[in-house]
This record gives sequence, structure tokens and C-alpha cells, in this order.
Amino acid sequence: MSANLQTAGRRSESRAWTAGSPILVARGIGKSFPGVVALDNVDFEIRAGEVNALVGENGAGKSTLIKMMAGFHAPDEGEIRVDGKLLSASPDAAHAAGVATIHQDHHLVPNMTVAENIMLGRWPSRFGIISRREQLARAEEVLARVVPDLSPMTLARQLSPAEGQLVEIARALSEDSRVLVMDEPTTSLSPPEIERLFEVVDALKAQGLGLVFVSHWLEEVFRISDRVTVLRDGKLVDSIPAAELDHAKVIKMMVGRDVEEVRSSPREPGKVVLKVDGLSRAGVLDDISFTVRAGEIVTLAGLVGAGRSEVANCIAGIDGYDEGTVSIDSVRVAPGSPKKAINAGIALVPEDRRHQALVPQLSVATNISLSVLDRISPGGMISASREAKIVQHAAHSLSIRMASPSVRISTLSGGNQQKAVIGRWVARGPKLLILDEPTKGVDIGAKAEISEIIIQLVAAGTAVLLISSELPEVLALSDRVLVMRSGRIAGELDRDLLSQESVMNLATMG
Amino acid sequence: MKQVPQSQAPAPGASQGKAPASRLSVLDAIQDLGLLAIIVIGAIALGLLSPVFFTRINIENLLYSSTIIAVVAIGQAFVVLVAGIDLSVGAVLALSSVLCVALPLNLGLPVGLAAVAAVAMGAVVGLVNGLAVTVIKIPALIATLAMMSIARGIAFIYSDGRNIAPVPDVYLDIQAMRVFGIPVVILLTLALFIVAHFVLSRTRFGRSVYATGGNAVAARLAGIRTNRVIVIAYVLSGVAAAVGGLMITARLEAGAATAGFGYELTVISAVVIGGVSLFGGEGKIGAVLLGVLLLGLVQNAINLLNVPANYDYVVSGLVIAIAASLDVYRRRYVEAGLLRRSIAGKQAERSRQENKPEKQHA
Repeated sequence: MSANLQTAGRRSESRAWTAGSPILVARGIGKSFPGVVALDNVDFEIRAGEVNALVGENGAGKSTLIKMMAGFHAPDEGEIRVDGKLLSASPDAAHAAGVATIHQDHHLVPNMTVAENIMLGRWPSRFGIISRREQLARAEEVLARVVPDLSPMTLARQLSPAEGQLVEIARALSEDSRVLVMDEPTTSLSPPEIERLFEVVDALKAQGLGLVFVSHWLEEVFRISDRVTVLRDGKLVDSIPAAELDHAKVIKMMVGRDVEEVRSSPREPGKVVLKVDGLSRAGVLDDISFTVRAGEIVTLAGLVGAGRSEVANCIAGIDGYDEGTVSIDSVRVAPGSPKKAINAGIALVPEDRRHQALVPQLSVATNISLSVLDRISPGGMISASREAKIVQHAAHSLSIRMASPSVRISTLSGGNQQKAVIGRWVARGPKLLILDEPTKGVDIGAKAEISEIIIQLVAAGTAVLLISSELPEVLALSDRVLVMRSGRIAGELDRDLLSQESVMNLATMG
Repeated sequence: MKQVPQSQAPAPGASQGKAPASRLSVLDAIQDLGLLAIIVIGAIALGLLSPVFFTRINIENLLYSSTIIAVVAIGQAFVVLVAGIDLSVGAVLALSSVLCVALPLNLGLPVGLAAVAAVAMGAVVGLVNGLAVTVIKIPALIATLAMMSIARGIAFIYSDGRNIAPVPDVYLDIQAMRVFGIPVVILLTLALFIVAHFVLSRTRFGRSVYATGGNAVAARLAGIRTNRVIVIAYVLSGVAAAVGGLMITARLEAGAATAGFGYELTVISAVVIGGVSLFGGEGKIGAVLLGVLLLGLVQNAINLLNVPANYDYVVSGLVIAIAASLDVYRRRYVEAGLLRRSIAGKQAERSRQENKPEKQHA
């Protein structure tokens, strides 16, 4: 071990990126689950004062590796050592060894204060009576390193997701953690919050912590990391200093092939399908009016919280609204009923796949046919042959990869789950398809496939309303872009005026 | 559309032929079989301990005495499948029992009409439960707990706490009726299970039940009227409990406000032992029948082995706990077995791939 440390030390001196000695070393890790891609002979290192970005498509094995470092899974093969000591597979052991994991949604007790949460389970006490003063003092000490402006007396339920994450980091620091594993920490954060998180990460790095950063956003990866480790199909592709990499190289390592970017050709839209007129909802949406024509992709762009999903929810009948009208083919759609919206020809692929779309206990087939139950069950009885036909068609036309339509949908990869959800709505042949962040949390290969599916649907005459935060996707697919800002449409951009700058200008300018 | 190489397939077993496709159905089958195995082993053990067990009279008695719990469990299964719970079934059963005897005696209602009124009461109670849960959004546990108290209270008020007799003859006649030598009540109960199985597995409503219990938000967004589905489930539970009330009236030969004390817990135990997830969306009605039979077997054992009456509840509770634990272990064991198979398959695949010439990638 000491020899290892020495070589690592020497190497760090000779390199431009200053990395310290390895804190956590995983060697030859192998792991299998029924129905889930395993890890296969993976080596991984976390060094002091280094941010190691773990990237790979969904199902590449990132989560499994992270869960192993957090002590939730035991490796079938290989070993993980922290400071040379074998890490046993229990969350307690991981904590004791100084490995802390920060999840995308914070895990705090909502009705306890920030201070209580930071000291959770380790409240300083004498004879079982908690010493509030000491608790506060110790919480303040670690908070000062992360969020100095947050009061330790705030209740956890009042925190924003970003603050929650920072409090979790503070908790990790209070445990003297030396390794911080951050699993897609930026997913629910706004750009300024992300920047704040990165400042904290930079500070912690300077204090000698080893950090692991998982993200689908390569811009973030390059902004924050010193080293990029790429996994593919459970195997280690490579672990390379970030300075020696660029965007295209990483993507190529992740997918093992070149991804062709989908460019949609200019289309000839038909008649108006969706007409939204003066849609308003107190405090959320203000006088939203636009149309979407058959064979046209209109995109709602803007920052998170600008009201894009709210527009979609009003159109799809999930939420009611105070003023305005929504019409399909000039017929008004009754507000506040998803069923009526569906019958009017509206379909919504929601943003939150897990909570709003999947029924995890049911099979892929059952999940797909959920939207067409009325069509496949004359007299209330489900016709197995009609169902099979619809499912087969959806699975084939969307190339959903699965062992069989009868497997649980939860066993599929994120991209294939999403294709199944899209298939659910394509099966109904909607006039208007609303896609809210359809490629969120989906790997790059599936992203391209989903873009392709959208283009095919539009070519067949479907009107598409797209919501996307990924500007390259917006630019590649949209015929028109409506940029939203604080519940209003701030501007409209035609295809020939589209650029990242024009969209961001409208989205961010007050 | 771009073809993705085989190695990108999401399921590691995708290239192992048909095994993964049937994996879940195999798993389900083994779970049901496991429960059946526990029942068979228990029966054999009981047969060895008591010479009376394998007599026709005893078996018939075991099945017969399970019918009430069985019928009420069908309704409860629908409620648990939509991620609810109905604690009011025991009380509804008692109120139904009181009504079906007292209405003809006190108001001179025809016996048939009184039975219909009792069942309609069950439906109304279910409707109120369902609306309380979906519209007022009271947690199911609390809403049906309140209803349990109210229904039991009305039964006591109306009967003044006394057993009401005589029971109309038709109840006793149906109870004694046999087809092919088998009590008709047992056959009708089985028929109800078959109907429930059909409804759950083959109809739009059944599919909506699973979807609503599995993910209510997703089901609603897919155009399913989830509130309606939930209300119907509670109505079915109320109706089933009321029918159970008619059955217990025949058994007790009285309308009794004290009937079915604690039945809600027995019924929920049967449903859960039968593998219906308390989180909703998962479980089969056939397995619920097995859960009912297991509890019936335990009761039978308590009777045959002369377990002192005071130990009844303790023994029942232990059996429920053991059955549930065994079920958890069995699932784990089955999953571990599947895991071993998938690892073996993967290793075989890996060695196959390693033997392949690298040329084809170039």
C-alpha cells in the first residue's frame, strides 16, 4: 500500500492536475442482479483534492458503483478499500469510513431543524438529554463551510432542493467525511444554484476531500471535474484527466460509437390543431396564447420555473385555469379533466416519468395499453388479441428493447421506459402530442432514437408541443420556439432565427 | 432507425432465449405454489397429529367455516389493490346480520327484500367510505375506522345488543343445501372467486384497479377515472361484507350485533398472506383464497388440538407472522436462485464472446 501511495504522490507532482493520494480504491469490482446490467471488473479511484466525474449512459453501472461505495451493495467480485482498509458492505461502515453520498433529492427529516438534521442520530447529549447549544455550535461550524447564510434553526421542509443538498453536504462534513459522492446533484437545481454548488465543490476540493460527481450534463462535467471516468455496459472504458478530453471524445467513449445528431428538415405544417387563447392561472401563468399546427413542432423553451410544464398541465387537463380557452380543431376542451383532454385528442408525456407515467408493478404491455383501455375492451372485457396487436406495434415502431412485453416495466432501462411511455400515447394516435422533457434522464443513444420518433410522428401529421431544457435538442427539432419567462411568453422565434443565444437572451432578460 | 448492437440490450439475459421472458410468471407461480406447499405440509402434519383431520366432516367443516372470511376477503382484496384498506368490514357484517333478521320481524319486510336492503346498506357504507377517501381525502385507515365504529354502533342501537331470532327458514335451508354432496355455500364462494379473478385479470375495470393502485397519478393521466375506481372498490368491499353478514346469520341462527368482531384483521391478514401488496397494485385473487385457507387450517388445528381458547389469538397471530416471514424469505430465495442463473448465463455469454474473433468489430 505504501508503494502505491508513493507512486501516486510522484505522479501527482509530475502532472498538471494536482491530485493527492488515493482515498478510496476499488479494484476488479463485479456485480450481477437479475435483469439489471452488472459491473464487470471495474477499477475506480477517488483521490484527495480531486473531482472524479463518473459518466456513462443509463444502465452503464454508475448507480451500482455508487451504491457499493455507499455500502448498500456488496461486490460479488473485487474489493473496495478506504485508506487501505477493506470497506464492508453496510451504510454504517461507509459512513464510519468517511464516505458520504449526496442524492438528487435530499434525505432530510422535514420537521427537524437544519441543525438537528446535520447532527442526525449523533445529537450531542449528556445522559440522553440533547445539548442544544453544542448541537447548534457544531452545526454552525460545518454550515459556515458550505452555506454560511443559512440559519441552522430553519426547518428542513422549508429548504429549497438546493439548500437541502448543501445541508446534506454539511452533514457529511460534520461526520468528517473525506469522500463525497454526488449522484446527479444538479438535476433539480437552477443555474445560479448549480454555480453555488460548484463553488462549494471547488472549496471542498481545496480542503483535500475526494469527490465523485455524476451528471448527464457534460458541460457540468467539464466545468467541475479533474478526471472523467467512463463506464459502458458495466465495464470501465477509461479514466482520463479532464484536460485531455473534449465533449465529442467523452460521448464517443460513452456510446462506443459516433452519435449522429438528428436534424429535422423544414416541414410544411397543416391546419391549426391546438389553439391556446389567453390562458391565465393566478400567480403561475399570465395570458398565454399560441397555436400548434398539424405536422409542426412548437417548443416551449425557458428556464426551469418559467411556467412551461404548467402550460402543458393546463392543456392536458391535469390542472385547471382561471381564464382563457384551449381548443383542439376549434372545439373547446373542458378544463381540469385528463380524460376529457385525452378524448379531445391530447396526449401528454409528462416530465416525471417515475411518478406521473410508469406503473412499476405492471408489465410493459399493460403500461402501453393503459391509454387505450377503452378501445381494446368492448363491453368492458379486454381483448387479448387487440391488446397484443397494439403493444406489438408500439414495441416495434419505437424499437423498445425488452426480453418480452410481459416483463415488468421497472426492469427496463430509462430510455426504453420512456419509449414505452411515448408508445402508450402513440398507440392512441393523438392529434396533439405534448412531450415534457422527453429525453430527461435518458442515455444518449435513446435520446437520438426519441428525437427520430418525434420527427416521424410529426411527418405523419401529429402536432407536437415540446418542452425541453436542452438547447441543442430544441434547436434540432423545433419549427418555432416560444420562450417563456415568469409565466409569460417572452417571445417567439422562428426556425431561421433560432440559436442558443437568441433563446437564452429571451429566457433570461428581465 | 439506428440499430443498436446486441450488447446494448437492457436486460442482461436478453440473449439467453426465453428464460427471462417467463421469469416473472415463474416467480409468481412459485409464490403461489409456496403458499400451497405450506398449506399441504400443514395439513399433513395436522393429519398425523389428529386422526380426525382427514375425515370428510372435518374437511367440509374447515372449508365451510372459511367461506365467510373468503367472501369478505374478495371485497377487501379490491380495496387493498387500489392501495386502500377497509377496517369497517366486520362492523358492516354485523349490521347486515342485524338488518336481515330484524327488518322482517320489526317492519314486516319480506325476507328477500330485507336481504337486499342489508346488501344495499353495505354498498352505501362502501360508497361513503370511498367518497371520504377520494373526495374529503381522509386517510383510508381513519375513514374506515370511523365507519367501523359507526356501523357497529348502529347495529347495537337497532338490536339493543340482543341476538335477534328466529332467523327466517330460507337462510337455514340455503345453508343446508348441497349439490353433488357439497354444501352449496362452498361452491358459491368458489364461484365468486372465479368471477373476481375474471374481473381483475380480464376486464377494463380490473386493469384500472391495478393501475390505480400501482400509480394513481399515472393512471389518472392515462385517462382512468381513478377516484371512481377507488370508490367502486370500497363499494365492492361493503357489499361483500354485507353478504358475509347474511352468511353469518345463517351460521349463528341469529342476527347479532356482536358478529364478526375482529374480522377486519383476519380478512386483511388473509389478503396480505395471499401476497396482495399493502402498497397496492400487486397481487392475485387466487392467492388470497389460499391465504384464507391457511387461516382456516390454523383455526381448525386450534380446535382439533384442543388449544385452550385463551391461546387462540396468540396462536393465530404467530401463524400470521410466521407465514408472512416465510413468504419474505421465499421471495428472497427465489430471487437469489434467479440471480445465480443469470450470473451463470452471463458468464457463459462472456466466455462465448471472448472466444469470438475480434474481427467483426473492425
